[in-house]
Amino acid sequence: MTWLTVPRDWIASFGEIAKFCGRVIALVWSGRVFVFFGEALRQAGILILGLQCGIEGAYFSRSVGAPANAGVFSAWCDLREIIPYAFGYMMAAKVGTGLVAEIGAMRISDEIDALEVMGISSMTFLCATRLLAAWMVLPFVYIAAIGAGFLASYIAVVQQIGEVSSGGFFLIFWMFQNPPDLLYSLIKGMAMATLIVLVGAYYGYTASGGPVGVGTATAKSMVLNVVGVHVVGMLGTQVFWGANPRAPIGG
Amino acid sequence: MVRALADRAFLPTKSVLEQVGDMMILTGKTIWSALRPPYPYGGEFVNQFLFALRLCWLPLLISTLAISYGAPGLQAGNFLVLFGALDRLGGFFVLTSIREFGPSVTAIILAGVAGTAITADLGARKIREELDALQVLGVDPVKNLVVPRFLALMIVTALFDIYAIIFGIVGGMLATMSFGAPLGPFFSTLLTNASVTDLWGSVAKTTIYGAIIAIVACYKGMTASGGAEGVGRSVNQGVVITFLGIFAFNYVFTQTLLATHPEISIIK
Repeated sequence: MTWLTVPRDWIASFGEIAKFCGRVIALVWSGRVFVFFGEALRQAGILILGLQCGIEGAYFSRSVGAPANAGVFSAWCDLREIIPYAFGYMMAAKVGTGLVAEIGAMRISDEIDALEVMGISSMTFLCATRLLAAWMVLPFVYIAAIGAGFLASYIAVVQQIGEVSSGGFFLIFWMFQNPPDLLYSLIKGMAMATLIVLVGAYYGYTASGGPVGVGTATAKSMVLNVVGVHVVGMLGTQVFWGANPRAPIGG
Repeated sequence: MVRALADRAFLPTKSVLEQVGDMMILTGKTIWSALRPPYPYGGEFVNQFLFALRLCWLPLLISTLAISYGAPGLQAGNFLVLFGALDRLGGFFVLTSIREFGPSVTAIILAGVAGTAITADLGARKIREELDALQVLGVDPVKNLVVPRFLALMIVTALFDIYAIIFGIVGGMLATMSFGAPLGPFFSTLLTNASVTDLWGSVAKTTIYGAIIAIVACYKGMTASGGAEGVGRSVNQGVVITFLGIFAFNYVFTQTLLATHPEISIIK
C-alpha cells in the first residue's frame, strides 16, 4: 500500500491547504494586512536580494542551454514557456523552501504562539504579509528575469552559434511577440508565485516535531511545488495560447 | 575600510568556492569507497532505490505529461498548424522530450522530491548527532550512507528518464489529438528522427544529474547545523545548488553532444 502514500497524502492535505489559502487571501483582501505594511516591505527587500542572484544565474544557463536556433524559437520558447517554468523552479527552490524553513523555525520555537499571546494575528503578520510582498515585488523581478532570458538567447543565437545576424534575429524576435504575450506570461509567473508562497507558508505554519520536523516539512513543500508549477504552466498555455497561436502569419 | 569592503566582496565567493571544493572531495571519496571492498551497502541501496521510486512516480507522471502537452505540444503545434505541417510535431518531440525536457524534468522532480528528502533525513541525523555516533562505532558514514544514495539516485534518475520520455510522448499524442490530427504521421516523424545517440545521450545525461543531486543532497544534509532553522535552511540551499548545477551541466552537455554528433541535429 506504500506505493499510494503520495497520492493519499496529497488528497488529505489538499483540503487543509485550500482552507489555509482562503484565509490568507481573505486577510490580504480585507486590508488588515496593511497594519503590518512595514513588515511587508522588509519581506519584499529580502525577496529581491535573495531572488535576483539565483534567478539570474538560472536563466542564463537554462536559456543558453536550450538549443535555440532562430528568433521565433527564442521569442516563443523564452517568453511563453521557459521563463515561467524557470521562474517557478527557482521560486520554489529559493523562496518556497526558505519560507518553510523560516516560518517553521518560528513555529517550533513557539514564536508564533508568542505573537498570538501579544494579541498580534500571527496569520496576518506572517503569511498574509508575505503574500502581499510577493505580489508587490515579483512582477518586477519577473520582468528582470525575462530580460536576462532574452539576453541569454541573443548571446547563444547571434554570438555563439552565429547563423543569424543581430538585425535578422531581432526582426523576427520582436515580430513574434507583442505586449499581451508579456502580460499572459506575467500572469502565468504570478500564478506560480502565489501558489508557491501559499504552499510554503502552509507547510511552515503547520510544521511540528522539532528541527527535524522543519526539514521534513521543507522537503514536503518542494514535492507539491514542483508539481504545481508544471500544472499551472500547462493550464496557462492551454488558456492563453491553446486555441490562438498569436503569430503574425497565416489566418 | 578597504579591508572591510574586500571582506564583504570576497568572503561569500570564498565560501562558495570552499563548498564546491568540499562537494568535489565528497564525490571523490564516494566513488573511491564505492569501489573499494568491503561492500556493506547492499540493503541500504535497495531501500533508497525503492524510497525514491515510491516518492517520485506520481509527481513525475503529472509533470512530464503537463509540460510536454503545454510547452512543445501546444506551442510548437500551433506554429506547425500555421504551415499545415502538424505531422512534423513528432520530429520536434525527439528534440524536446528525449533531448531536453525529459531529462530536465526528471532531474528537477528527483532533486525536488528525492533530493530534499535525503537532505532532510541526513540533516536530521546530523542534528541528533547520530552521524557522530556512527563514527564512534567505527561505521564510515560515507560508505554506509552516501554511497548507497549516490548509486541508487544515479540508477533511479536514468530509469525515470525513460519513463519521462514515454509520458512526454503521451503528452505529445494528447496535443496532436487536441488539434484533431491523426496519430500516424506523428509517430512516423518521431521514429524517423529518433536516433540511438539521442537516447544514450539522454540516459547518460540523467545518470550524471542523479550523481549531482545525490552529492549535493548528502553534502548539505551532513553539514547541517544551527538549531531549529538549520535543517530547513540546508534543504533550501541544497535544492538551489542542485538546480543551478543541473542547468549548468545541461548547457555543457548539450553543447558537447550537438558539436560531437552533428548528425542528430539534422531534421529528416
